[in-house]
Amino acid sequence: MIIVDDVHKRYRTSHGYSKWVLQGVNLVIPPRTSVGLIGLNGAGKSTLLRLIGGADTPTKGKIERRCSVSWQMGYGGGLQGSLTGRQNAKFVCRIHGHAADIPERMQYIQEFAELKEYFDEPVKSYSSGMRSKLQFALSLAIDFDVYISDEVTGAGDITFKKKAKQAFKKLAGRASLIMVSHAEGTLKNFCKSGIFLNQGKVYWFDDIDEALRAFKDSLPK
Amino acid sequence: MIEPKVKEYIARSPLNVAISVWKALFLREVISRLSANRTAWLWIFLDPMIQIAMMVFIFTTIRMRIVGGINTPIWLMTGLIAFNMFRSTGKQLQNSVNSNKALFTYRQVKPIDTVISRAFLEGVIGIMVAIILFCGSFLFDFGMFPDDPLMVLIVFFGMWLMGVGFGLITSVVSTLIPVAGKFIAILMMPLYFCSGVILPITIIPAEYRQWLAYNPLLHGVDAIRLGFAPYYHTIPELSLGYLYSFAFSMIFFGLVLYRRYSSRMIQA
Repeated sequence: MIIVDDVHKRYRTSHGYSKWVLQGVNLVIPPRTSVGLIGLNGAGKSTLLRLIGGADTPTKGKIERRCSVSWQMGYGGGLQGSLTGRQNAKFVCRIHGHAADIPERMQYIQEFAELKEYFDEPVKSYSSGMRSKLQFALSLAIDFDVYISDEVTGAGDITFKKKAKQAFKKLAGRASLIMVSHAEGTLKNFCKSGIFLNQGKVYWFDDIDEALRAFKDSLPK
Repeated sequence: MIEPKVKEYIARSPLNVAISVWKALFLREVISRLSANRTAWLWIFLDPMIQIAMMVFIFTTIRMRIVGGINTPIWLMTGLIAFNMFRSTGKQLQNSVNSNKALFTYRQVKPIDTVISRAFLEGVIGIMVAIILFCGSFLFDFGMFPDDPLMVLIVFFGMWLMGVGFGLITSVVSTLIPVAGKFIAILMMPLYFCSGVILPITIIPAEYRQWLAYNPLLHGVDAIRLGFAPYYHTIPELSLGYLYSFAFSMIFFGLVLYRRYSSRMIQA
């Protein structure tokens, strides 16, 4: 269960503060419920994900995580360019308290990410597709109750996409997803409930179809 | 339908998380520091060695053979080692937040963690460099055993603390105000000259010297020579208490800055 309590967020820019990206967000995401975040570009989807993942702190309000939550996957963040894929993977295992069984996890990551010999090359030499494959494999190698993904299923080539989908499906038994996607099909495929973000406010829908309908209704005709 | 039983979630303790992050960051820093390029590890030792060799050459061939009652090479080496402990720690710590930015994606990693692990790494490297230079000095026939080894260690530790305090503050400043980083780098030059590393401060008249004595690094640099030779003529103002209180004040102030600006540094 994740509790978002009266969360406000705005950013500091070179000239003062930005406008409120999120304004008074209250949410309770129940256990084992996969949620899709819907909204226009700049509606605050990624901001909300960052806050839930704990990479950033709210300007006001608080977020309580009563389960293990992954970091935000997608966009190649969280990888140190000067280190190799393997060194990055070890780092992630260590900070999550899995220092003891690194070899098994390394094997899984190497296999899943399909990087072959590039696994021992610096991450800065990777293409964006390779980066997201590695990131995806990294998060799967660690057991979370909730996985946070920012358009991550969009990464990689067709075969990898298929593999990622299967992995996500397999996860559904033990964990849930909080994801951002602009692809309706992906959302319907993975999510049960939906959150619609509009002008700093959020609206919770038990059914993802309703959330998508509300989103479509809000668009100018 | 039977609801699958939700396993009760037990979070790792904050200390447990912090320690695993420090370990992971330490190893990550070791890799970057020692294998940035093929000879990165070699330069860690060569850099101070070349500095010392050059200064020794200049001093002994064209200037003086004895400073304050001890041989010039040992006088230079001890001062440089002590000052380097401060300088390299401070310099490396200043960039620690910027060079680990990508890793703040993981909520377990906070800016202060990068500084803490880098501080330990610099401490280890500093001691290794000192030991190697110390042993090397015997090969060149100017080696000498410290008369008061404890004093040498205390000074060393104090200079490391100074570096940590300096690095804590400058890392916040240079992350939030990038231009400031350049000015801080320039500041190192006058500090080097005012700390008595290559210029004996004792030759400066008392009325000016008392102003220079406000520089805590000068106390460390001079005290380490006293640790080697009890008959060394130090500056009369010498006080290790001053060095330590200055260092701890800086560390305290640096930690306050982290408390205040931690989340803004992640965004910056």
